[in-house]
Amino acid sequence: MSTVTFDPASLEQLQQQKSTRPWRKKPTKFTASVSLAVVIPALIVAALFVTSDIPVPILMVVIYLPLQLIASAVAALITRGTRGVADSMIIVNAIGASLFSVIVLASVIGSLIVRGLRALSPHFLFQNSVYISPSTPLDYGGIGHSLVGTLLIVFIASLISVPIGVATAVYITEVRGRAVPYVRFFVQAMSGVPSVVAGLFILTIVVATGAFNQSAFAGGLAYAILMLPTVARTAEEVLKLVPDDLRTGALALGSTRARTVLRVVLPAARTGIVTAIILGVARVIGETAPLLLAAGNNDQTVVNPFGSPISSVPTYIFNNVALPYPDAVARAWGSALVLIILVAILFTLARVLGRGRVSR
Amino acid sequence: MSTTEYEGVMELDIEGIEQSALHQVGPTEMETRDLSVWFGHRKVLEGVNISFPKQTVTALIGPSGCGKSTFIRTLNRLHELIPGAALAGAVLYEGQDIYDGDVDPVHIRLKIGMVFQKPNPFPSMTIRGNVLSGLKLSGMKRDNHDDIVEQTLTAAGLWNEVKDRLGNAAGDLSGGQQQRLVIARALAVQPHVLLMDEPCSALDPASTLKIEETIRELSKEVTIIIVTHNMQQAVRVSDYTAFFLAEEGSPGHVVEQGATTEIFGNPQEQRTLDYVNGRFG
Repeated sequence: MSTVTFDPASLEQLQQQKSTRPWRKKPTKFTASVSLAVVIPALIVAALFVTSDIPVPILMVVIYLPLQLIASAVAALITRGTRGVADSMIIVNAIGASLFSVIVLASVIGSLIVRGLRALSPHFLFQNSVYISPSTPLDYGGIGHSLVGTLLIVFIASLISVPIGVATAVYITEVRGRAVPYVRFFVQAMSGVPSVVAGLFILTIVVATGAFNQSAFAGGLAYAILMLPTVARTAEEVLKLVPDDLRTGALALGSTRARTVLRVVLPAARTGIVTAIILGVARVIGETAPLLLAAGNNDQTVVNPFGSPISSVPTYIFNNVALPYPDAVARAWGSALVLIILVAILFTLARVLGRGRVSR
Repeated sequence: MSTTEYEGVMELDIEGIEQSALHQVGPTEMETRDLSVWFGHRKVLEGVNISFPKQTVTALIGPSGCGKSTFIRTLNRLHELIPGAALAGAVLYEGQDIYDGDVDPVHIRLKIGMVFQKPNPFPSMTIRGNVLSGLKLSGMKRDNHDDIVEQTLTAAGLWNEVKDRLGNAAGDLSGGQQQRLVIARALAVQPHVLLMDEPCSALDPASTLKIEETIRELSKEVTIIIVTHNMQQAVRVSDYTAFFLAEEGSPGHVVEQGATTEIFGNPQEQRTLDYVNGRFG
């Protein structure tokens, strides 16, 4: 029997130890074949791009993707044997698919920036379009009136749809009455209502009957119809995440059902409810058709929600983008850029506010 | 049948240690009569007759699935919240059937508090807010909120650990502290009975010991009914013990009940002896 001799390092030596990540070390053969698998298809495609007239999308999908698949498979075969081949296929396809969706989004935003950035300036955000004709240069006028309109309409829509949506979610998850399956079905069906139908509906029963003009209020009603299902369904999901322990805990303290909901369940789901509201706003903020019908158009800044037709960013884009004046078109693209930035801000806000978990 | 058995055991006990204050039997605070419980068509408990004397600790023991938790939830009318729940027999609190048509469950739950297996402090409230939440939720008016917070947290054995951070979120506390917090919360509404459904099952030994001390201390004022899987705990904290068992295919029932010293020291039933010695369950 032999004794294992091992001298532990001294304290000094231990303090000098450097942290390493041994699992990151790759054999040279691996590095070499992976680099070749990355470089060769790229080079072939680059050569084809320079020498031929094949359109880029076809080049990428028909030539690059299969080439890359073959190259990766070969590299995998060399380094890890047959087991690695399926692995590499899945990885290449997954990377390709996610790149594709990123590229689509990036090109949408890119085209907005390219065409719209020219119109952006401080006065573009704050001035209105009174005395501005489509041929007026970009030095004058802006979409201040449309921004005010959009914000006003969205605010009105939120005032209407948030209480109703949250109450619907409370009915489904807390009251759990007999009508829950039907309510849930109708809410789901409602989320399929085309926005133009919502606009027509409001136009017919609110504007055409003479109850209200085309206005921020009528537009807000149309938006509320579209927002409601999103708010209700998202709120339902977050209320479901509130642990039942909290409900029974409150009831065991002698609480009524109503107090349990108001003081325990809803506060516990607060961040989630905020997310529901923001998702609802983001759902409607770019809708054009309902506002064309229910809110109308205006060059002036309107703050009275009931009195007169009002402009909004989507209708402004719609009215300007097809005009035969380059500056009007630039204004439309600039407005689109502003709108998408607004949506981005809202989604970021939702992510930040939603990060606090429902219960800690 | 089991009622007589129970009383018999208790009388025996009283004769044995008449002078000891420990088993002084006070008036009955709660009792169940021929209580049977269903979930839908499945009968989970049958013919449970137990009485809980005032200001004592009663431990409910038995293997998982024997209906202890279901039983304890019928005592403050939480059972009825589960869809398909049903029951027969009566649950008497101060001689009144709590399932009478004109009894408000909210009122019952105010008198009969509960601590759950998993600590469930309200995450949206501070430590102080949690202690006082029962008052707000039940609409109960009590003055001197500061005193209530200090008294109940002291009673729950948590005051010294949290007195400097009453405004912190309740979620920042450890599991054992959270459990003691919800005990304080339950005490703030001044219940007469406190139901505890395995209050220590998720806690480390030190927290468990603290809560057991709390239970002993509280039993001077409130009647405590505690479900536990921990035999030593039942011995340490309880005056009386009821052993529940659900045999193959039949609903749960009480096999034996009586003074804890009897159940653990001199059980009359072979099954009780086997269970308390850890031979099954």
